[in-house]
Amino acid sequence: MKKLAALVAVLCVALMLGACAKEEKKEPQVLKLGSLSPLTGPYAADGNDIANGARTAIEVIKSEGGIPGFDDITLVAQDSACDPRQAVAAANKLINEKVVGVVGAYCSSSTIPASETLAEQNIPMLTPASTNEKVTERGLKYMFRICGRDDDQSVVAVKFMTDYLKAKTVFVVDDKTTYSQGLADNVEKLAGEKGLEVLMHDHVNQGDKDYSAVLTKIKSMNPDVLYMSLQNSSSGSLMAIQAKRMGITAKIIGQDAVYHPQLMEIAKDAAEGIFLTFGYIDVDKPAYKKFIGAYEPKYGQPGAYSGYAYDAAYTLLKAIKEAGSTDPAKIREKIMAMDYEGASKHIKFMENGDSGSNYIIRVVKDGAFANFWDPATGKTY
Amino acid sequence: MDYFLQQLTNGVTLGGVYALIALGYTMVYGIIQLINFAHGEFFAAGGYMGVILIGWLLTTGAPPWVCLSLGMLLAMGYCAMLAMAVEKVAYKPLRKASRLAVLLSALGMSIFLQNGLMLTQGVYDKAYPTQMTQGGFAIGNVSISYMQVIIVAVTAALLIGLNLLVFRTRIGKAMRATAQDKTMSALVGINANRVISTTFAIGAALAAAAGIMVGFYYGSVRYDMGFVPGIKAFAAAVLGGIGNITGAMIGGFVIGLVEIFAAAYISSQYKDVFAFIILIAVLYFMPTGIMGENVDDTRV
Repeated sequence: MKKLAALVAVLCVALMLGACAKEEKKEPQVLKLGSLSPLTGPYAADGNDIANGARTAIEVIKSEGGIPGFDDITLVAQDSACDPRQAVAAANKLINEKVVGVVGAYCSSSTIPASETLAEQNIPMLTPASTNEKVTERGLKYMFRICGRDDDQSVVAVKFMTDYLKAKTVFVVDDKTTYSQGLADNVEKLAGEKGLEVLMHDHVNQGDKDYSAVLTKIKSMNPDVLYMSLQNSSSGSLMAIQAKRMGITAKIIGQDAVYHPQLMEIAKDAAEGIFLTFGYIDVDKPAYKKFIGAYEPKYGQPGAYSGYAYDAAYTLLKAIKEAGSTDPAKIREKIMAMDYEGASKHIKFMENGDSGSNYIIRVVKDGAFANFWDPATGKTY
Repeated sequence: MDYFLQQLTNGVTLGGVYALIALGYTMVYGIIQLINFAHGEFFAAGGYMGVILIGWLLTTGAPPWVCLSLGMLLAMGYCAMLAMAVEKVAYKPLRKASRLAVLLSALGMSIFLQNGLMLTQGVYDKAYPTQMTQGGFAIGNVSISYMQVIIVAVTAALLIGLNLLVFRTRIGKAMRATAQDKTMSALVGINANRVISTTFAIGAALAAAAGIMVGFYYGSVRYDMGFVPGIKAFAAAVLGGIGNITGAMIGGFVIGLVEIFAAAYISSQYKDVFAFIILIAVLYFMPTGIMGENVDDTRV
């Protein structure tokens, strides 16, 4: 009797599976877009901003009529954890998922190995956040970059110190990642060339909470400028709070990784007056309004890379739509021909996949980021 | 000289935090020879519970100092219960298993708790209502913030309280007896399970207190904040002689001071290196740690 029951049960399950399989054949055509960013670990905040930016782009494209030939568009969000090994594993997973293109990754040290893996399958990759120069200097045909480059970023930072702040001395501190140390090294070198005295270039560890030792050192040296090259806004706000508590009067200059609404939320009044190098944002243009209108109700205030991730995903989907095909060569052709106003910047690619830098100095004013100084004209906004 | 004194202040503050966390490691080790790797997560959970409770209490309009102390006590109570639950689920069933199995269970629990925090509280930093503890004073050119004073004062009070508890009360005596010989103490009527549970609870409550003070001192908490201080405090416990309460306190202050002075006089990037060099050097010459002589009646 028991055996019979078991047999019936097995048959039932088999029938159900059969039914499922049949249904799958009728399933609608889904376009899969991949994203790679740290969804866990210390950079999870920025990583989730990137995934959310890509999701917003998908929604906007869908509301604009979707892509002909596909019934739906989904995002396959993978966790790169800012770890080169996991980034490669995640890239392989995306290849198995048969994504048509990838938005990501965040840390340059993840983007570089992941892009090599994706390149073997000719899958286009658009990074919204990796600013290290090497990302687009390896001759990869399907590597594109929406954000700017570190060599441009450091030039703007140093120019601001000498031309606007008229600083004589600077103290440089970084937290030893490919990105933050690369940028700090560039600033140190350029400052030296420009006659700005670098009092010291010190390093802190990633994930540190206590900066009292290095800040006491800074206080005793009393530099005009503190160049704060940290990997995320959480470290940046901790340093800002402690600097204020110590009574450090040096002007603080940060960079794009510290740029996040969290900076003001955590550091509160200690964040006031911090300068940051970041891309110019025109909040009044229609493309930005379209992005913010779709993003903010769902995910709150955008982070540093939300807009870039949105533009990356939007560019990719737009290219697929225009090409009428998911063939990588055709997508690339359309991406290279792009010339339109995105939410974060004007989207137009150079032969190496870069889209140019538009760094300016932004400042924290009354608890919000505001455009402050334009390096091209040397004037404040 | 001012520079030295300022850095000394920084070091003592950091050391106090490490000491509070290290106590939890050392007490649990003393009693069941387990390195409780989930201990750092109690520190993080305490930090979160503190900001949630204090934030809520502040909305009731009670005076800030009442909110602060009440919120802190409640968060410590919460973490104590959390630790007892963790002990029941992850360690008690393995009491007779090999030590490796319990250790792995501890690592698993640590990952579970950290990800639990991430999923329930989100990946973003959570800000503390720091305006109530802002400010400070200066002695000569050395500036000391109120929060630094609070950290050192609360740490000292908790350490004295713990010493009284362990050496002057019945439960403390039971803890010391269980640490010495579990079977024998059970024979004289001590409920070993309850003693172990209490030990976990006390350790976690101390970690929660540290988590809240760190939240106020640095201005924010984060789901992964328990990992690095957890490792440092573990090193402090080993340095002081694991299983020894006074040792854990000394170890915490040594690690804190070494870190700050390495950062002050050499470079911040070497501070962890020096903290661990000290650890290795001490263990080389004193394999049982600074206070780790084998006098079992001081052990918990």
